Amino acid sequence: MSNTVLVCDDAIFMRTMISDILTQAGFEVVGEAESGVQAVEKYRQLKPDLVTMDIVMPDMGGIEAVREICKSDPDAKILMCSAMGQQALVVEAIHAGAKDFVVKPFQPSRVLEAVQRVLG
Amino acid sequence: MDLAKYSALFLAESSEHLNACNQLLLEWEREPASPAPVGGLFRAVHTVKGMAATMGYTGVADLAHRLENLLDALRRGRVAAAPEVFQLLFRSVDTLGIMVGDAARGADPAPDPGLSAELDRATGEAAAADPAAAAGVDGTRMRSVEVTLRREAVMRGARALLVVSRVEELGSVSGLRPPAPVLEREDFDGRFAFRVSTGASDSVIEAAVRGAGEVATVRVGEVAPEAEAGGRSRQIRVDLDRLDTLMKQVGELVVARSRLAVLAAESTDPALVEISDRVSRLVGGIQAEVLAARMTPVGEVFERFPRLVRDLARDLGKRIRFDGEGEEIELDRSILDEIGEPLLHLIRNAADHGIEPPEVRAAAGKPEEGRILLTASRDRNSVALRVSDDGRGIDRSAILAKARREGLADAGTEVLSDDLLLRVLARPGFSTAEAVSDVSGRGVGVDVALTRVRALGGTLDVRSELGRGTTFIVRVPLTLAIVRALLARTGAERYAVPLAYVAETVEFDPRAVTAVRDREALVVRDRVVPTVHLRHLVQGGPGQPSPKAPTVILELGDRRAALVVDALAGQQDIVVEPFDAPTGMPSFVGGATILADGAPALILDAAALL
Repeated sequence: MSNTVLVCDDAIFMRTMISDILTQAGFEVVGEAESGVQAVEKYRQLKPDLVTMDIVMPDMGGIEAVREICKSDPDAKILMCSAMGQQALVVEAIHAGAKDFVVKPFQPSRVLEAVQRVLG
Repeated sequence: MDLAKYSALFLAESSEHLNACNQLLLEWEREPASPAPVGGLFRAVHTVKGMAATMGYTGVADLAHRLENLLDALRRGRVAAAPEVFQLLFRSVDTLGIMVGDAARGADPAPDPGLSAELDRATGEAAAADPAAAAGVDGTRMRSVEVTLRREAVMRGARALLVVSRVEELGSVSGLRPPAPVLEREDFDGRFAFRVSTGASDSVIEAAVRGAGEVATVRVGEVAPEAEAGGRSRQIRVDLDRLDTLMKQVGELVVARSRLAVLAAESTDPALVEISDRVSRLVGGIQAEVLAARMTPVGEVFERFPRLVRDLARDLGKRIRFDGEGEEIELDRSILDEIGEPLLHLIRNAADHGIEPPEVRAAAGKPEEGRILLTASRDRNSVALRVSDDGRGIDRSAILAKARREGLADAGTEVLSDDLLLRVLARPGFSTAEAVSDVSGRGVGVDVALTRVRALGGTLDVRSELGRGTTFIVRVPLTLAIVRALLARTGAERYAVPLAYVAETVEFDPRAVTAVRDREALVVRDRVVPTVHLRHLVQGGPGQPSPKAPTVILELGDRRAALVVDALAGQQDIVVEPFDAPTGMPSFVGGATILADGAPALILDAAALL
């Protein structure tokens, strides 16, 4: 059975791109969220194997969402998607419980490597 | 060899190890099954024993030796980690701390025979009772880990911390080089190292490191004992007095620089102007370096609190967990030395008044164990320290009623704002505790904390939600020693206003004068701002300011005040001198300084004016 993924990003473009990369690699994207609040809700509903999380989103940012998700599920496997120059935020996300990160612009191979590491 | 000159070093290092012991004991007590802390405890006590023996402090060495025996029995599983054993360990570490202090002051105290006997009994009895277990396993070891990240890896700082957090799942990580803040700034070449105390094999450690991604090389090996002492660790211990003296001299240098700049500005000699500029830059560089050398992680203050909270909880019959966050945030040593006490009061307050007894918490549907969280975070030029509890919160209606009775709030006040709440709480003698307990009764905590924090040029805020908990927020400047100030003149006197509090300066406009609750106020940019005339403050008498008199708008959080002065006299770096206010000194004076031309000036305490 393929691994399930929840893709969280406020930009449709990014969600589509990440979904395509993951789907082509055999993952099943079971949900998408465009805000931190949605991410937390959908995580509870869907219990995906993996979450990709944008850092800057409206309505509760990605870091806060990581914190919320990890509160109920410390083993949640969350991969942060960050832009260049957001190192401090990535550090914060790691402290909050994120398991790995990739930096935009995405190269599919880098994303898949990170996903494999997170699912370890 | 004259050992006396090593006694200060012995004291400092032993105290560090014993502090670490307290930490480890707390960790271990929380999770008695975890094997990690006892190894660390054993090593710390062993080190103290070795140092004490070298110094010839036989009493200290003797007690440390007995304690080490018990720890050895514990780590080999010959003695079970029972609650009474923890009590004994805590007591022994405390006693050892006292003896270390005494020894360093020249007395070599003999160990308490009662305590020694107890330690021996705890070690021996259990060993006799269960000789078969003597060959128990000791899984944890200290390993050194060196990592190089791939050259093409992006955000290497975050990646390095990811490596550390992966390894932390295997055991406790220490000695991170470069330290975390440097890694976070990505101020390193992709190579970093740390130690881990774990039962995991080297290949498991390596796999964890590689699992974090972007790792080029990993080396797991023995911890080199000398790496700590000299070799790779590029640090030396400096007596704090030296740094204080250095700071003071740099302060005087800064003042001299200002004086030179004044002379250069008056001169027509280009060589003088040039050398003045050069000196100015050099002094600026020295100032920054000395300030940086004085920065110390707040963790040094935090580390005493877990133990304190544990003991308080026992005395109060409560269950309280203490957590610290942001230990790596740095503050100037002089502020750090002063910040412990206010935090102590706030933490005691939280334990005493905030956290409810277990049965009350259970009845309210909360976990029986309360939590006190102490966090530090950097916020531009200040550091915010938050003491939060998940206790009962402050009952605003009770406080408001009391405030009305005591005339602190108008009868018409309906809502108690956080601001007013703090003012009421911080009133000397104010308490809402049903009974005054000896932990932090009489409301003295907030009062003392506020006074201390203000004296540091900081602020205190409170946020509280009934049933959910209370947070006190202490904000202090990063450093005290040298601040940039605006000089304001009234009559012949000059006063320094720290620039940190100055929002802007405007011209006094008599047409904008209004009144709020019988107090004079000015309308500045559509906001009504209470007004203070510096002339009235210092001379007592009234007197009309001239139209267009310079007016300094002070700002602290969301509070503002307008300070009307006779004239402004430029900006200057000033060295804040420790100030024991003579009796009768008005509260708006926060310190004194010497200006560039050698004249003394008083420093206005903006917080008191607001």
